[in-house]
Amino acid sequence: MFWFNRKRLGSMKLTMIGLMVMALFLSACGNNNPGNASNAGTEPTTAPTAETTEAPAAPKTLTDAMGHEVTIPANPQRVLGSYLEDALVTLGVTPVAQWSVPNGVQDYLTTELKDVPTISYDLPLEAVTSFAPDLILIPSESSVQNGIYDQLNKIAPTYVIGDELNQDWRKSLLKIGEILNKTPEAEKAIKDYEDKAADAKEKLKGAIGEESVAILWLVQKNFYIVDETRSSGAVLYTDLGVTLPNLVTEIPVGTRATWNPISLEKLSELTADHIILVNSDKTEGSEILDSAIWKGIPAVKAGNVHEMSSTSSWLYSGANAGGKIIDDVLKNLVK
Amino acid sequence: MHRVTLSPNEKERRTRAITVLSLLAILIIVVFIVSMNTGFMRLSPREVLHTLLGDGTHQQKLILFDFRLPRIVISLLVGAGFAVSGCILQSLARNALAEPATLGISAGAGFAVIIFISFFPATTAAPVFVLPLLALGGASLTAALIYILAYRKADGLSPTRLILIGIAVAAGINACQLVLALRLDPNNYQFVATWIAGKIWGGDWRFVLALLPWIAILLPFAFYKARILNVLNLGDHTSLGLGMRVEKERILLLVTAVALAGSCVAVSGGIGFVGLIAPHLARKLVGPRHQVLLPASALTGALLMITADTIGRWVLQPAEVPTGIVVAIIGAPYFLYLLAKSKA
Repeated sequence: MFWFNRKRLGSMKLTMIGLMVMALFLSACGNNNPGNASNAGTEPTTAPTAETTEAPAAPKTLTDAMGHEVTIPANPQRVLGSYLEDALVTLGVTPVAQWSVPNGVQDYLTTELKDVPTISYDLPLEAVTSFAPDLILIPSESSVQNGIYDQLNKIAPTYVIGDELNQDWRKSLLKIGEILNKTPEAEKAIKDYEDKAADAKEKLKGAIGEESVAILWLVQKNFYIVDETRSSGAVLYTDLGVTLPNLVTEIPVGTRATWNPISLEKLSELTADHIILVNSDKTEGSEILDSAIWKGIPAVKAGNVHEMSSTSSWLYSGANAGGKIIDDVLKNLVK
Repeated sequence: MHRVTLSPNEKERRTRAITVLSLLAILIIVVFIVSMNTGFMRLSPREVLHTLLGDGTHQQKLILFDFRLPRIVISLLVGAGFAVSGCILQSLARNALAEPATLGISAGAGFAVIIFISFFPATTAAPVFVLPLLALGGASLTAALIYILAYRKADGLSPTRLILIGIAVAAGINACQLVLALRLDPNNYQFVATWIAGKIWGGDWRFVLALLPWIAILLPFAFYKARILNVLNLGDHTSLGLGMRVEKERILLLVTAVALAGSCVAVSGGIGFVGLIAPHLARKLVGPRHQVLLPASALTGALLMITADTIGRWVLQPAEVPTGIVVAIIGAPYFLYLLAKSKA
């Protein structure tokens, strides 16, 4: 390539050509050993197994939240339901891959999903293909906008649960149960959960009565206060009937947003009897907990702070997450 | 402009041009092949060949034909489009800094697309073919605004003023974009953010189809106007003296550049730098005559984009680095080099 390296060919040109050669070389390397760079355990399964022609018992056609007619295989064997793992695990289905972000997975499910490889939250198409799913479940419409749905649907039938159902894990669980022919399991899981919640509610009443409990999430030096609309707030306030703290009741109902940012100054007005602190700043940034304002909060003064680690299920929703939240509540608030 | 005889000098120039152009084309083909092999899934050159011949597994076909090839083709088209657009703008403005991104044209096109996406989330069928038109609308409005602001009756279109106003308008549009983006819900915000960073998001043949007509018509048209650009590059007075209808030709070429940039932005997002660097590189390789410079820019731009896209797909596997960022990482040092050199 250097035969046209004449006088006028400046050194810059050489550099650029060098860069391009390097780029070529680098990408050629990548081609030879992609396993190095990809997540451990996601060894692509280039399984040319002629599409498993399961006995066509009864594939069914369902309409998803975006109006797609989706033909669900009779007996899905390789389900991919990124961020729907709680429901899948509850129904006894092991997904082919689990949701992940660069700094982690859904930690509370590590036992259940021990050997399940991870897939990036944004579902790179080639990664999805490598897992050879036979059914793809998507929680929210917004993640498959702009033609992504069509591409996923080329890989395997893709069903979008939709935000409306997904806001309520019970509805979403029932829908997934219906899709996977596991409606009885879904109903049983919900009933088990309600029984557990009712039982815990009784115990809690005896232990803390009408005392209020605040759930605070500390992440990157910012506090968020959890309301009753979702996740651990829904479990604690709605299912277990615990009294909401003053700072939450002051938020207009319409603007509650699961994670309501709240300043430390505002927190000083918190009159809750107990604080459940989900601490995602355990390793760094906890100095905010040494501040005078924090230490002046009545519940803190009284020593009623119950700390949950960031690996707990307190930031998640689902039958599994909810059950674990109830366990944590009983352990910490019922002495 | 009639070519009577070829002087030895001219002959040498021609061979050089042909050499450079074919070399660029060969490099593109090489990167194209490498790019087909690169990605999350392991596909050896042999498997690629088998798949191309219709012999691959379902998975391999899916990856090659539905995911990789459309993207590669789009990078090529977008690279060529931005580069030619930048080349035209640099000559029109007679300013080495001109390109769709610095002039705010990309920002205008992007803004139109983002407004559309945030108010009509594509829960329904993706309006793929509407996007280039929308981007074009945004780009044209911005270009018109800049032109009006920069034009003075007394001294015509001042290159410096054009750039300064372009930068100011781009900054304004980017600010609006940010305000709009902050009001979006997290999912849409994420989309818009990666879009702004320049991620080729239209990874599907429909986007190729939506983009292809624009490139297929506008590139040859620009090549056809090469001589006019040569003359315009001499300055208004000389052009007028040579009997050219300067204003008409300039607007025609400006529209071409804007349309090219707009349609590319629609599928690729805010990829800057290609439009800036590719013409510069091409000029160094083949000189300032637009008959050769424009095709050389197109090829250089295509090569840059396809290389950047391949690298972006590979470096942080399984995550992808937006192509625009890769281009900027390659482009920024070169740009600094240019600045340093021009000072000396």
